[in-house]
Amino acid sequence: MSAGGYMHRPNRPLMVYAIGYLAFLYMPILLLPLFSFNDAIYIAFPLKAFTTQWYQQMFANDAMHAALMNSVQVGVSASVLATILGIFGAKAVTRFRIKGVKPVLGVVMLPLVIPPIIMGVALLILLSQMGIPLSLITVTVGHVLICVPFSIVTLMASFEGFDKSMEEAAADLGDNAWWIFWRVTFPMVFPGILASLLLCFTISFDEFIMAFFLAGTDPTLPIFIYGQLRFPQKLPGVLALGTCIVAVTFTVVFLAQWLRGRGPTAPKTEGN
Amino acid sequence: MVDATSLSEPELTESRPRGGRLATLFRRSESLRGYALLSPTLAVMALAMCAPTAMMVALSFWVQSGFDITMTFTLDNYAKVFTNPIFEALFLRTLMISGTCALATVLISYPMAYYVAFHVHRRKLAWVIMMTLPFWTSYLLRVFSWKVVLGYNGAINSGLMSLGLISEPLEFLLYSPEAVIITLAHAWAAFAILPIYVSLEKIDRSLLEAAADLGDGAVARFLRITLPLSMPGVIAALLLIFIPTFGDFVTPALVGGPDGMMLANIVQKMFGKLNDWPLGSALAISMMIIVSIMCGGLIWVTRQIKERAI
Amino acid sequence: MQIKDKVKAFHDGALSRRDMLNGLAAIGVGVAMAPILPRTARAAGSDAIYFTWGGYDIPDLFKPYIEKHGEAPSFATFGGSEEGLTKMRAGYVVDVSHPCNQAVPRWVATGLFQTADPSRLSNWSDVIPSLYELEGNMADGRPYMVPMEWGQTSVTYRTDLVDLQGEPESWGILWDERYKGRLGSLASAADAWWVGAIYAGVDFENMASDEAFEKIAAVMREQRPLIRTYTDETTSLEQALASGEMVAAMTWNESAAALKNQGLPVKFAAPKEGALTWVCGAMIHKEAPNIDLAHDIIDSLISTDTGKFLIGEYGYGHSNAKSFEAFSEEDLAAKGLSSNPNDILAAGKFQIPQSQEFETRMNQEFENIKAGF
Repeated sequence: MSAGGYMHRPNRPLMVYAIGYLAFLYMPILLLPLFSFNDAIYIAFPLKAFTTQWYQQMFANDAMHAALMNSVQVGVSASVLATILGIFGAKAVTRFRIKGVKPVLGVVMLPLVIPPIIMGVALLILLSQMGIPLSLITVTVGHVLICVPFSIVTLMASFEGFDKSMEEAAADLGDNAWWIFWRVTFPMVFPGILASLLLCFTISFDEFIMAFFLAGTDPTLPIFIYGQLRFPQKLPGVLALGTCIVAVTFTVVFLAQWLRGRGPTAPKTEGN
Repeated sequence: MVDATSLSEPELTESRPRGGRLATLFRRSESLRGYALLSPTLAVMALAMCAPTAMMVALSFWVQSGFDITMTFTLDNYAKVFTNPIFEALFLRTLMISGTCALATVLISYPMAYYVAFHVHRRKLAWVIMMTLPFWTSYLLRVFSWKVVLGYNGAINSGLMSLGLISEPLEFLLYSPEAVIITLAHAWAAFAILPIYVSLEKIDRSLLEAAADLGDGAVARFLRITLPLSMPGVIAALLLIFIPTFGDFVTPALVGGPDGMMLANIVQKMFGKLNDWPLGSALAISMMIIVSIMCGGLIWVTRQIKERAI
Repeated sequence: MQIKDKVKAFHDGALSRRDMLNGLAAIGVGVAMAPILPRTARAAGSDAIYFTWGGYDIPDLFKPYIEKHGEAPSFATFGGSEEGLTKMRAGYVVDVSHPCNQAVPRWVATGLFQTADPSRLSNWSDVIPSLYELEGNMADGRPYMVPMEWGQTSVTYRTDLVDLQGEPESWGILWDERYKGRLGSLASAADAWWVGAIYAGVDFENMASDEAFEKIAAVMREQRPLIRTYTDETTSLEQALASGEMVAAMTWNESAAALKNQGLPVKFAAPKEGALTWVCGAMIHKEAPNIDLAHDIIDSLISTDTGKFLIGEYGYGHSNAKSFEAFSEEDLAAKGLSSNPNDILAAGKFQIPQSQEFETRMNQEFENIKAGF
């Protein structure tokens, strides 16, 4: 087997494309810091003067912090729960030949095609009939429902064509089912699990309409932000917050990578 | 490899109680074991979804009168959905927008996912997270940014004007179906990259190396191995973008202008100002059915192609 | 290749559990940082809920309430009152919510609201009567909606980009071919359709007649190709006016005030045909669990403390006549207000409540026109 192989040769045009693509992804995001230091409440050119007042406004705005924390809490819980449900679903569907699974799978995929306003209204009617008060928990439940289809589809791509023989080889060695999952299946589908977590978090973190119907007096960040549309005075504070979110996540990701690079188990070679 | 399958069956179920007809049946029937594994997900989803679905279906056969719903069975709502020319026009526009958006997003994202899967060897995780990070800022803020970029006095128009390429600002860049497509393609980029990346990452590198050893060129290797094996990811990405964008209402409302309105905006209004929940439900169900048929068609066609290829 | 080797290879593959642990570590750092950011304490359970726009969920509007109860009520916010109504129709129970006059008959028709008791409002006697004596608002001398803030719907235009050519200000700016594709409008028929009526010269008394309906529909169709976008988000219209994307738009008066504060050359027109007057206020939910607190919330909203804030900060008129005493005539004139609010109210045009059938017909027709039919 050719060690390393052609894949290790750098591909210049593709790299240029990748950089261009990242530029496309980041272009609108990089405007946020620019306007967050602009002394105007409107996000519009021409720029006026440099200011840090929006950051002061952001740090002083307790309601916004609460909304942010609510959103993080809902996003993390919803993405973890949805991904767990997604793993069961995707594994079952790809591992076993199940009779009549297609219509059953349709039920699971329903939230993808039902307009969120109908989901929101219907779930709210259901909850108020049952006398359950609205809270972040009800929002989380709603978000789990809309995340599960995304999780399953993403994970199915990961489980599909998954070589059963590997699990079976592990089983040969006498491992039990959970251990097999942890040692064999999990590492192989890990990219899928990570993708599912990231996608679900992204959906939940940005979802507005279901959250609006299912939230009580604790708003999520999108509810808070949409609430500012009548009076834009606080929007630049949200801009500052958006800038901070990007900056903090960037720092955390790079810090984690840097720490890893310093560790004893630095770069490994690909393949065998 | 094949013989391993039969060999391992008893091992997997070793922890389960032996003996007893139920247990035997359980071990023999793949369907049962599948359903057992599927049951937590299925139970949660079925329980939670039966109310919205039932409500929607029931509503669609009833009539709105004032703020009450008259519960007499009627097909009028569906008749309206299929005869009113507005719905037809909006349907075609919605199809055009979300179809273009899904295709374009998948096309431009594939090379990116390919790059990360095959040409990035260190810090892969960082790359994957880098590509989702932009989406952790509020959608509303990103839309405001796009308005600044696409607007009449925006970055693109100003740039083109100063280069002397255009004399009048391009108006179609904002408040138009084009603006909806651009904004959506950006917003859903992660939903194309991640599934495609996942399916590319999974491809057994030894297959490619074997093909290389047999003298296949880069293009042949891509067309014969990489592309077919990454199709599950591509299909997943197409569906994950097409279906939600077909039902999107936020983007058209913010950047679509009067010519960029989509079907879901009308559904939204039916549950608000237009105050016709039954018609809104009928419209939503019709949308669901049409979208499901189209997605089923897509999956069927790819399967046909796959089988023919083999 | 041996299967077991392959298993091992995957263990050591590009994305191994080590990566995952890194990922978890990253999440861990993020979550660990969470407590550093301050959280608002929320009093448990029994306090009253005010369901309103973001921007009204601030303690500045509740000074008397806070003096009496120690803290502001709980808030739930919406981006638009229609969404709020849909949420309450689906079963969400609050104590007080916040509709505007054109929606009052519809809100009342849902049967979800009850009248307020004026005898429990210490500031009621100072409320300007023309603001609550609207058709359909009073029942047995008790108001459904207790008016809080009011203002006008008119044209906000860029003085540097719109050339009036010596003509008086008019709604015609929004029908001017010269500004094709540079004009904005509010999206709800509740505003736009009535403006169409003013522009078409239809008397509000005859709104519901077929002849008037066709006349208004015709001017709305005429306007459609000129409009860049219809939206109910004042922020979108303001951003567009600030960037020069639009030269003129139908807005409420706070937009002109906010744009002026930012130093932009805009003017809130006083159209020769007359502006549209609106008033919003507080309404008590039928099943409000805290009826006493609900009245305290409303009493606070119509107090002069709140009035001074709304006039000074948001540029709105307030329902309490005494609130205007703290401002000079010039101050008020600059905001399009007056120390004698009745003058402005008398000059403006109030919508006349219509039947639900008319509302539906109007909304449907306007949606059709906006969609290009």
